[in-house]
Amino acid sequence: MSTLDSEKFHAPKHVRRVLESLVAVVCPPEAVELGIEHEIVDHAEQTMGALPSLFRAGLIAGITAYDQASRVWPPSKGKASHDLPLAMRSRWYLAWLGGFTPVQREFAKAVKQVLVLGHYEHPKIQATLGYKPQQWIDKVKKRRLDVYSDEIAKHEASILAPDPLPRARARTDREVR
Amino acid sequence: MVAAQKFAAPAAQRPKNLFTGGDIHGDLVLDADVVIVGSGAGGATLAAELAEGGLDVVVLEEGGYHTTQAFTADASAAVRNLYRDGGATIAIGDPPVMYQEGRAVGGSTVVNGGMSWRTPEKILERWHHEAGLTGIRAKDMEPWFERVERRIHVRHQDPESIGVDNLILKEGADKKGWKVIPNLRNQVHCAGSNNCAFGCPTGAKQSALVSYVPRALHFGARLYSDVRVERITRHGKRATGVVGTVRGANGKRHRLAVRAKLVVSACGAIHTPALLARSGVRSPSGQLGGNLSLHPNTKVIAVFDRDVRGWEGVHQAFQVREFQDEGFLFAAVNIPPGIVAMTTRHLGAELGELMHDYDKMVIAGMLVEDSNVGRVRTINGSPQAFYQLSDFDADKLKRGVGLLSELLFAAGAKKILMPFEGVPDLHGPDDVHKIFSSTIPKRSIEVVTVHMMGTARMGRERDRSVTDDFGFVHDADRLAVCDASLFPTPIGVNPMETIMALATRTAAHILDDVRRYR
Repeated sequence: MSTLDSEKFHAPKHVRRVLESLVAVVCPPEAVELGIEHEIVDHAEQTMGALPSLFRAGLIAGITAYDQASRVWPPSKGKASHDLPLAMRSRWYLAWLGGFTPVQREFAKAVKQVLVLGHYEHPKIQATLGYKPQQWIDKVKKRRLDVYSDEIAKHEASILAPDPLPRARARTDREVR
Repeated sequence: MVAAQKFAAPAAQRPKNLFTGGDIHGDLVLDADVVIVGSGAGGATLAAELAEGGLDVVVLEEGGYHTTQAFTADASAAVRNLYRDGGATIAIGDPPVMYQEGRAVGGSTVVNGGMSWRTPEKILERWHHEAGLTGIRAKDMEPWFERVERRIHVRHQDPESIGVDNLILKEGADKKGWKVIPNLRNQVHCAGSNNCAFGCPTGAKQSALVSYVPRALHFGARLYSDVRVERITRHGKRATGVVGTVRGANGKRHRLAVRAKLVVSACGAIHTPALLARSGVRSPSGQLGGNLSLHPNTKVIAVFDRDVRGWEGVHQAFQVREFQDEGFLFAAVNIPPGIVAMTTRHLGAELGELMHDYDKMVIAGMLVEDSNVGRVRTINGSPQAFYQLSDFDADKLKRGVGLLSELLFAAGAKKILMPFEGVPDLHGPDDVHKIFSSTIPKRSIEVVTVHMMGTARMGRERDRSVTDDFGFVHDADRLAVCDASLFPTPIGVNPMETIMALATRTAAHILDDVRRYR
């Protein structure tokens, strides 16, 4: 799969709806407070686009099954999970996370992973952590060039300088004998 | 413009001889002396040495071409663009092992940590005695290692590039009286940007992308990115080239074929056996795809009550080598908050509370020299890895996590999160005994790796190995392997330099008989 394949991926609308309903369940409260649920799901969509196609198909099928299966869960009164109030949505999610089958448990973990990745990759959330790696990169990049530019240039020149491989070194002891 | 297009290098930044899918407008047939599939540690090194030696070399790379300028702190864009399948590749077993491979020009060297260690002497001795390899002992390998180290500039870190998390690891090791050594890395005055795994944004890390690839191109090699090689073409036992597809300028897939006098597979220990298998290559040994070892890794997250800011400073500046004879190493490896959050059991507000201390975390990992082997099977043309962690290695992981926790508590950690599902956080050194004394199911261990090895192992005996002393496939003609698939056993240290040194040695072997390939 090429990177362009991953960029073309758009999750079906019902999948986005379920993911959006899960943001408040798995991500910290700042996601809702800052109103970034859509952006988290956009990010999750990009992540899903980069996954192996079988894995992605399984995840989409899992999300659909997860959403619809809540209809037969008595407390839901026949509603799909994305239509449940937050407390019920959390209970339904936790039921899967601690589910009887490994498939349920692994699915619940995978959904959490793609959503919290989107949450903590969001610049607003990173700012709340004081995490500004690009500032650090820019600072040390400049320091490196200021201090070591001569040695860097010397090494770069050496990359292209002739240095042919000596012959006959590779022969084994036996062959040389 | 979509993100992938922004991430990819514009035409103006591309060196001559390097062609991306966008340059291809129709089916293409190329002729060369040597075609190499893969542009990572093995493929790029071999390409540079052979091109300088006068051979006409074509390199085919499945991933895209991305320059240093494209590498930023946007970790998830990097994972999507530089890693195969978004990094979500899994070896099936109990527990499953998540592994990552680079997929870009420069291969995994673009996203590795830059550790540059020679193969330990005891391992080379083992390869000599057990696999019957000649010209492989430490004294034989010395010139190849020396040459690689010169090219990729293997050095210790400048002190100012080392961050607090690594100093804490060293402090803990010193307090315990354990052996800790400064890491050797392929870098030219690494700035400590802590972005190794997402592409070095300063160009300091001497990945193949900025060392062997430009050198190969300079000496006339041609490199085509965005090409997926489907199979090796053969005439009887003789390899005659490769065929594949490339996504062209118009978004259409075009056929690409290369006719060559020597075909080299250098696409890593997962994809090399798959390429050989779907090309109909069989090994009488039954070892093709077998013998998979992968240095199982796990990590702990230690929370301190002081500022650490682990993203400020190079990762893995030190390695704790106290337990190397037992087969494991420790190092501090900062990872971005999104990936930390993915790997914890916490949810919602509890996750927020944990991550509030992200700037006080030290993330430390361990690498285990494994005792078991798995297998890469080729299913419908695609590789699938199977690997079962042995009880012995699971015990090593548990013991290592306990010892690593002792080290981190000695350095002042207040809390340590375990990589074992269902095992509570540790709050002090007295809690460490819980790790040693409790029964932790193997399946609860979170295991990851980036070191896959051994699936086309070298050996003198064709009934026990896939390739010969120099990586040429037994029972095939003009077909070689040049990546970590060749390792007869795991090596217990980071494999990049071993791959490069073996590639250099293979290049010298080929050039000794250069007329055969012209």
